[in-house]
Amino acid sequence: MLEDFVAKFTEEKIKFVKIGSKFFLENEDLDKHRLDVKAKWFGLFLGEEVDGKFVPGFGLLDWLSKYSNEKVFVKDIGEMDFLYGKNLRARHVERVEGSTKIGFLKLVQNEHDENLGYAKVCGDFNQRNQVLKHRMDRGILLKREKSL
Amino acid sequence: MSPWQKRYEEMGGDIQMIKLDKCIRVNTKKISAEKLKKRLEAKNVELERVPFVKNGFYVKSSRFNLVSSPEYLSGLFYIQAASAQVPVEVLKPEGLALDAFAAPGGKTTQLAEYCDVIAVDSKRERFEALQNNLERLGVANCIAYLMDFRAVNKTFKYILLDAPCSGNYMLEKHWIRRNTLKRVNERAEKQKAYIAHAISLLEKDGVLVYSTCSLEPEEDEFVIQYALDNFDVKLEKFESFGEPGLTKVFGKDLDPSMKFCRRFWPHKTNTIGFFVARLRKC
Repeated sequence: MLEDFVAKFTEEKIKFVKIGSKFFLENEDLDKHRLDVKAKWFGLFLGEEVDGKFVPGFGLLDWLSKYSNEKVFVKDIGEMDFLYGKNLRARHVERVEGSTKIGFLKLVQNEHDENLGYAKVCGDFNQRNQVLKHRMDRGILLKREKSL
Repeated sequence: MSPWQKRYEEMGGDIQMIKLDKCIRVNTKKISAEKLKKRLEAKNVELERVPFVKNGFYVKSSRFNLVSSPEYLSGLFYIQAASAQVPVEVLKPEGLALDAFAAPGGKTTQLAEYCDVIAVDSKRERFEALQNNLERLGVANCIAYLMDFRAVNKTFKYILLDAPCSGNYMLEKHWIRRNTLKRVNERAEKQKAYIAHAISLLEKDGVLVYSTCSLEPEEDEFVIQYALDNFDVKLEKFESFGEPGLTKVFGKDLDPSMKFCRRFWPHKTNTIGFFVARLRKC
């Protein structure tokens, strides 16, 4: 599940622990501090299994940003649009690394190489059209915050 | 004159409703204070350094709501009152620390800049907020437990006890009307139980920082006096803003070392009301 998602971006292997439906990065140093009751959260959050599907966490997308070259760097205007849940057009994109084939997943990065989320290639980057279909962005953190 | 006003005057304080500037704390695990300042200033956000904390800025003006900015969503900063940034800096933990009332995570994520953290909170909804903040700030060195910290049975060299309290008039609309001394005293009894358990979890020579956002001596100096009277702990001096803790109030003489505590009066410090004490186990 998590490995399948990671494999879409990199050949790097990720070691993880699972707590309930949540996945976290394996961390031996942190592990020695555990209490003798079940933790709810353990270090870097990688994602969660929801209704049988894997939903990545931003800790995983940040981790992938270090190991994957499947990235799209967006301009300021693209950054805001993407964070508002919009699909991206070619004019939003500063540059692309890795594959540009339709159907490929891309990490969406801002000009500081900070991860904003991820998207799926849906068009030709050389044309003036929609090129990336929005899949997930960090704006969800704010939505969650407001719902609490 | 409200009974609160009378109490505050006796403490050397006052009730003054002031407009506080929003304050942020830089997440130095992701970006330096100077770099973040440059980035936000490029977006016409006017910032001013908080003089008494390491990585805090007052937001003097901004054309947009900072929580909708990419910098906020990327976890480069946390919106946190200036005085609320003090306890972790006073604790100065190394290695591992226990955060006894961790949610929603302002101090937990700050602690994680210093050391590994065991974060504990028993309120489910607030725990969700803690998890969200740990994710947003990209914290990788914290284990969080949904439980009452009084069920923790491991010892620590550093403990942060930011105790639930009755709050203060700058935090809550109609605080003065809604609160009673009875409620304050009920809180104080719980706080005594919390500090007693926290001290039992403290290693010899370990450090406990006790803080509240209450200005009431019953929840602050009296709780510390209870700890000094009943356990083998002493107060330690630390450099900070604010005024010394009260050594005499409401006809009670308190331990002279109470002056090592710090109280933050909103009208004197341009931040929310706060109290901080640093205790060491003998």
